[in-house]
Amino acid sequence: MNDENMKPKAESRGPRADYDFGEDADVVPPSDPQFDAWIEKVAPTLNAPNAAPRAKMWDAIQAAQKTASEAQAGRVPGVTPLRRGHWRLMSVIAAALLLGVAIDRVVLRQVDAPPAPVASAPLASADSSDPSRLYRMAAAQTLTQAEALLTAYRASKVADNNPVAARQLGSWGREVLSRTRLLLDSPAGDDPRLRPLLSDLELVLVQIIQLSGAPLEAGDRELIDRALQDRDLLPRIRSAVPAGVAGSASDD
Amino acid sequence: METESTLSLERAHQLADQHALIERARRGDASAHRALYDTHVERIYRLTFRLTGVEHLARELTQDTFVRAFGAIDGFRGDSAFGTWLHTIAVSVTLNELKRRKREGARNAPLEDALTVTQSAPYSDPLLREKLMKAVNDLPEGCRAVFMMHDSEGLTHQEIAAALGVTEGTSKAQLARARGKLRIALAEFAEEWKP
Repeated sequence: MNDENMKPKAESRGPRADYDFGEDADVVPPSDPQFDAWIEKVAPTLNAPNAAPRAKMWDAIQAAQKTASEAQAGRVPGVTPLRRGHWRLMSVIAAALLLGVAIDRVVLRQVDAPPAPVASAPLASADSSDPSRLYRMAAAQTLTQAEALLTAYRASKVADNNPVAARQLGSWGREVLSRTRLLLDSPAGDDPRLRPLLSDLELVLVQIIQLSGAPLEAGDRELIDRALQDRDLLPRIRSAVPAGVAGSASDD
Repeated sequence: METESTLSLERAHQLADQHALIERARRGDASAHRALYDTHVERIYRLTFRLTGVEHLARELTQDTFVRAFGAIDGFRGDSAFGTWLHTIAVSVTLNELKRRKREGARNAPLEDALTVTQSAPYSDPLLREKLMKAVNDLPEGCRAVFMMHDSEGLTHQEIAAALGVTEGTSKAQLARARGKLRIALAEFAEEWKP
């Protein structure tokens, strides 16, 4: 059997993941026509779908599109409309600043520090000024903030009846949203693992901000809770930012 | 000959209609979104259901597929049929979700509980049913996806290859592997398929 055919190939056909074909992906056992015929009869009974709930799904799709477009158009109170062009420019400036700070710190560290062994110096320098590492640091910090915000939201029974607490939550949400969008338009947003998480976070934050002008009613809270649960946001954030990562990244 | 040319003319009209529909969808025309949804939703839902076996999860993943597709429709170059592109998104979204749930473990119902077999299954031994479900769940994720897409849902190797971003040869080989592994796992029930 040709090995080339046994391994998945990357093709430019839109979004795809690297699927696990198992460790013995190149081992193909000889076929048994009798079994093949039997399994072909049996297989359609596995996970046989019911009728698609078309209307229900369409309503949800429209609601998601509406939230996204309202946030984009700036119709959500307190959310600045996203101008991708300006945002891109801002992200380049932010990236340049980050790089500048990092390079500066590396240079200062090299001047201040006692002479290091020759072999280790280039390694430390290359690592500290690696742009992708800087974006990862920024992402870790933002996700840590987002985790704190979402945890506070879930714990904030007081915000249910307290407009001041709801407003504070909204203002915090706007801050995290700005950072999230900055990341989405930075190279960190091109990371296939990070982008879906940041996009989902953006949507939930917009919902929290949208409802933060007044005390949260049960229905509002249910909407946000469902979005949090459906998208599994908190566990995903926690698995993207292992404990201590953001802190240690910023301490570097 | 006449039939062939009629068919190709029909196909050309279909492609032109789809092109026009996608153009309208790109401009944000809600009725075009709805038309695309109506055309493809059944197949996408069936696929996500086959791969997950959980109604609410299939629903969420179908929704997610369309939201992502409409959001990224500017990036659809038209190299493949729109349906194929949707399948690619659906498979990617679904397998990533299953991978994530598996990683996160017990918080969600494990897939073992999700695989269901209809009453019309052509065998009656409950032990066989149980063993079959376990054997299918034990297949590597990509291998399992190919098996479910081909043998359960009836997709062609060309469609599967496009959706998974692999070659048709890989799809065929993975199907053979899946069947081989199932045959070994179910060896004690060989009388079911032997004459």
